Amino acid sequence: MRGGPPVTVGPVADEGDGVLRLGSRSFGVGEFALMAIVNRTPDSFFDRGATYANDAAYAAIDQAVADGADLVDIGGVKAGYGEPVSEDEELRRTVDFVAGIRARHPSLVISVDTYRSVVARRVAEAGADLLNDTWAGADPDLVYAAAEAGIGLVCSHVGGLSPRTDPHRMAYDDVVADVIRTTTALADRALAAGVRPDGILIDPTHDFGKNTLQSLELTRRLDELAATGWPVLVAVSNKDFIGETLELPPGQRGNGTLAALTISAWLGARVFRVHDVPAARQALDFIAVLRGTAQPAGTRRSLA
Amino acid sequence: MPVVAAAVCPHPPLLVPEVASGAAPELDDLRTACLAAIEHLAETAAVLVVGSAPTATYPGAAAGSFGAYGAPGLRFGTGDPVLPLSLAVGGWLLEQSKAAGLPRTYRAVPTATTPADCLQIGRQIAQGNDRIGLLIMGDGSARRSEHSPVHLHPRAEIFDTTVATALHNRDLDVLEALDPDLAAELQAAGRAPWQVLAAALEGTTLTGDLTYNAAPYGVGYFVASFT
Repeated sequence: MRGGPPVTVGPVADEGDGVLRLGSRSFGVGEFALMAIVNRTPDSFFDRGATYANDAAYAAIDQAVADGADLVDIGGVKAGYGEPVSEDEELRRTVDFVAGIRARHPSLVISVDTYRSVVARRVAEAGADLLNDTWAGADPDLVYAAAEAGIGLVCSHVGGLSPRTDPHRMAYDDVVADVIRTTTALADRALAAGVRPDGILIDPTHDFGKNTLQSLELTRRLDELAATGWPVLVAVSNKDFIGETLELPPGQRGNGTLAALTISAWLGARVFRVHDVPAARQALDFIAVLRGTAQPAGTRRSLA
Repeated sequence: MPVVAAAVCPHPPLLVPEVASGAAPELDDLRTACLAAIEHLAETAAVLVVGSAPTATYPGAAAGSFGAYGAPGLRFGTGDPVLPLSLAVGGWLLEQSKAAGLPRTYRAVPTATTPADCLQIGRQIAQGNDRIGLLIMGDGSARRSEHSPVHLHPRAEIFDTTVATALHNRDLDVLEALDPDLAAELQAAGRAPWQVLAAALEGTTLTGDLTYNAAPYGVGYFVASFT
């Protein structure tokens, strides 16, 4: 376990007061939830298959928990275009793995990154607590999988792209307005379909259906998304908009990632999907103190 | 003698330095080629800009902006920005050229326009009495490489080479015969405008000069001038 974390001050609010409830965990307003990415893919852009194998994947989960992750996000299909992954293959990569994580870590919030409703239902049965529908409702039935299982749902914005395609000349009169319109419409649809209101998040989905300037604009104006009242998830970790901004390849975007994450947290994001859990945990713990939702671990300097 | 000069340019938002930010120098050569290719349009009486977009014509004062692509500070023309991307890039290029002060019209041709309709539009353009210059905005395939915006297509390169060669050699038959279905599959936005060009050049003796032919980001870009 991590040592000497700041102590949270103030009570976690009661139901109906903006609390996000996922699995056995509750995250109050002002509390940051950290989501670790563990891919069951041979070809994802950042880890390039490091946790494709079973043992490596379980070890990565254990490490993420030890480093302070509140959630893990399991993906069985690379986000960008690549080798087609059949539904059977995605099930093979995710279902037993989710069940295995649930057995090893009973209180860990398990999220699954999928756009297929069949996969969603099966991982929900296996113990998943959250469906990270990164392709923004491409499968309109997925929302019912979340509703039936009583689990959470992430509502994304991809500018109308089909799953696993990259953006080409995406144009928005106002990208932030488009993101708010799309994600809140998906959230309302989820609510109408019976998804728990305290389990719905919105995600501006940086890079997906956006150029770098548009993702930067979203980061700069994240407070407008937070003002919708829906908990905001941000997934900025090592993405191309950071790489293009700093002219750095995927392996060298960690510092830029922390900067984007910090600004997002300051402007009201509540869930953070990351590759580097210890770094993000430190940054978020520090920001929580700056915002006054947590106390420093100890203040001795000049005080004795 | 209606069409007395023509130029062909691509229209990626990235061509605009304010959009490309620090990557702008990477397209210096393309921008230079575009500006050189349109210089001779200044010797005409009026310029018609043709590009792929839903059907519409716009007056010369119509405004263009790149705000939708992340650069809200850059705009030209009067009133609210209405020009679609291909025509906005064309207008932006003209604004920097000696042809900036000439009477100007914009004409959008939908990507799905049939070759027969494109040829009709081109011949209709050529019927006027004005000594007009054409600025034809069109991109090659967006599926040229593994790093393309849309996944690599095995026929993309040969399609683009066919177009480039036809532009250089003023091979109007090849341009007029480009397959619209293949062009759509390859996401080559220039097919319809190039066919308008080919028909408009039929009664002229203008010859082609291809000065840029590359796909630095996996999308085919061509620059050609017809004098």
